[in-house]
Amino acid sequence: MFSSKMYLKILFFILGMIVTTTVAYSYYFSKNYPLPITNRISFDAKLQFIRENIDPSKIDTIVVGSSLALNNVQGGVLEEESKTCKGVLNLSMWSIGAPQVEQLLEVSDAFPNLKRIIYSGQFSDFGNKLVFKDFDSNFIQKYMTNTLNPIVYSDLLLNACKDVSFCLKRQEEWKSNYGMNNKFAYLKFDHTGSAPLHIYGKDIVKERWKNPHAPVQIPEAFQALIRIAKKASNDKIKFYFIQQPYRQPLIDAHPGVKLVMKKFAKNVNLLISKEGGKFFNLHEKLHLTDDYFADRSHLNDKGSKIGSKEIAKFIDESEKK
Amino acid sequence: MLFNSYEFIFFFLPITFFIYFYLNKKRLTEASKGFLVFASLFFYSWWDIAYLPLILVSMLFNYTVGRELSQHTQKRRAYSSKTLLGMGIIFNLGLLGYFKYSDFFIMNINKAFDGHISLLNLALPLAISFYTFQQIAYLVDSYRNETKEYDFLNYAVFVTFFPQLIAGPIVHHAEMMPQFAQLKNKVKNYYNIALGLFIFSMGLFKKVVIADTFAIWATKGFDAATELNMLEAWATSLSYTFQLYFDFSGYTDMAIGIALLFNIKLPMNFFSPYKATSIQDFWRRWHITLSRFLKDYLYIPLGGNRRGEIRTYTNLFTTFLLGGIWHGAGWTFVLWGALHGFALVIHRIWQKLGFKMNVVIAWFITFNFINITWVFFRAVNFESAVKVLKGMFMGPLIIPSSMINYFESLKEFGFKMGHWSKLYQHETYMGLWFIAAFVVILLFSNSMQWKNKFKPNFFYMGLTILFFLSIFLLHRKSEFIYFNF
Repeated sequence: MFSSKMYLKILFFILGMIVTTTVAYSYYFSKNYPLPITNRISFDAKLQFIRENIDPSKIDTIVVGSSLALNNVQGGVLEEESKTCKGVLNLSMWSIGAPQVEQLLEVSDAFPNLKRIIYSGQFSDFGNKLVFKDFDSNFIQKYMTNTLNPIVYSDLLLNACKDVSFCLKRQEEWKSNYGMNNKFAYLKFDHTGSAPLHIYGKDIVKERWKNPHAPVQIPEAFQALIRIAKKASNDKIKFYFIQQPYRQPLIDAHPGVKLVMKKFAKNVNLLISKEGGKFFNLHEKLHLTDDYFADRSHLNDKGSKIGSKEIAKFIDESEKK
Repeated sequence: MLFNSYEFIFFFLPITFFIYFYLNKKRLTEASKGFLVFASLFFYSWWDIAYLPLILVSMLFNYTVGRELSQHTQKRRAYSSKTLLGMGIIFNLGLLGYFKYSDFFIMNINKAFDGHISLLNLALPLAISFYTFQQIAYLVDSYRNETKEYDFLNYAVFVTFFPQLIAGPIVHHAEMMPQFAQLKNKVKNYYNIALGLFIFSMGLFKKVVIADTFAIWATKGFDAATELNMLEAWATSLSYTFQLYFDFSGYTDMAIGIALLFNIKLPMNFFSPYKATSIQDFWRRWHITLSRFLKDYLYIPLGGNRRGEIRTYTNLFTTFLLGGIWHGAGWTFVLWGALHGFALVIHRIWQKLGFKMNVVIAWFITFNFINITWVFFRAVNFESAVKVLKGMFMGPLIIPSSMINYFESLKEFGFKMGHWSKLYQHETYMGLWFIAAFVVILLFSNSMQWKNKFKPNFFYMGLTILFFLSIFLLHRKSEFIYFNF
């Protein structure tokens, strides 16, 4: 037994060490890996990327959508090829349908000089009505623009790193999976937040290559699209919808897919035109061969470069008029 | 601000502690008290500053009336002390009634007379039930000439002292004021700091690790499920029984621990209540300061046990009925209070008749009575309470499919086979949590016993550190249940 004063000295030393180690590790982790603050790594990674790399005032173009926007649209190519898109941010993440895109776009207020939104997708993004639970756009805006109250941020940081084993696992996975551009899990973004895939030959996953998406369309997803277009129009922001390419052999082999592709193009064009949006059918424009695909709908780096150039042209022409 | 939040643990508490003792070291004792009041009001306003004027008005009013009452015998007044006390109590109860019960009252009037009076939709000011009771006790004691001359600053410290402001323990001026006045309490006491940190960390662990885990299961059963089978219903009710205990006793431990850092000893509020072997025993162990208040300022003034048996039963019942209403504006609370009042009457009759009961059976009956009545305490309405109770006593008992070979014959008697619970099917460790909770509540020493045993050695240091590790679970930040009352 020691004196109470000595007891407290040792106690505070140990507690101090624990707290300091935790804070130091949290800081290290937050600087090098996506903090686990949502239940999606692609969302975490995107928020972290914006927080660390993007000056919101320099963004005039947002690309949004699922992996069909994340992997298929290269922001860097858009910036190079276009005369109008000079500050591009690819805000997309994996597997989000139109209602979730609508929620995600609530954070667009964080970009004061935003002039256009490019929604890149395919019929498969309109097959569910899922929404983010407890989506707090105000919090997300503050987090990604680095304007969170320091106490709230510290709280977030410590909470994110509370489970050390989870963080260590994420660290490991980041190296072996998310950092590899020959895998669909690739999340090392270019300077605009895009993640072009270098998936060729043996890296192609057969299941994803052979099987088309179910030709399911949900009205709620289209209603969300109308609201997105309407909001953009009200905010005086130009809105573009890009229908991404799909492997032609699959369309030819599956009449259901062919039909839904056609209907989808017609519906989207009709719905967004009413709100002043512009529709661009990249599939019809390019008719890409299988050499440009990483699977049924994801383009490889070659394909996404070609696609992005076409998008840049389309936008320049649309805004010239 | 919650005790279980980073802003409290890492900022508010250390800053308040150091400034308070720094001012005392500089012999600025009045300034240190003033600072403590300021810090406590800041702590209180953190939730919503809109509540601040109310507590200030309440304090000023009660202080003025209390002072008048204590000086009443020395001055000639146009009104009697009793009238003044009555006015004071009416003011306090009026305030509490207005904010806490008006909508309940209006709803019942509307229901009874098919009326259409609009609800006031008032937000319940934080801690109003606690500081109102504390100040009523002060007025009554002033009337009885049991208070001393306190200045407003001392009075404000007594009412607002932040460790006990929000959810008690409900303190008595006689046990608090002398402590604030003692010179030795104005100097840092390392033993008290070590002990305070130990008790605080234990409370933090109880709240963050244990109570918040059971809270998830209780919420699922009470709020998410539409119907419950027998095992699910018992799991739900037991989850809440454990959640409530660890939540409230955790809060109290934290309050006691924090107060100790300031050399203030708050009264004991829990003493292993689930070890109770009778309902009377339970109320001697559960929320002890509320029971003390109800006894001193309600049961005894009503006549206590001095006016015959029937009157004693009536007083007991009335006291607990009102105790139930104090907890919340709803018929479920009324019923909960009535059931406890009724049980206390039965217990008294049992004792009078000289009956005895085996201790294990007595514990079993008491624990189950408490567990069952908590269902009314937790449920948002009677339908929800009935859902849980129906499940507990009439719900289907589902036998795990893996045991089908052993219990095949039971199918004929209506037993179902399948997973024991769809609701909790992903809660792998639920059973272990229940076993651990029973072990803790029945076999372990309680915080107060730990407090008495505490020595500054490696064992207690290790425990303190282990308990403090619960700060890594503060992301499950949730308010304490008793903040609602």
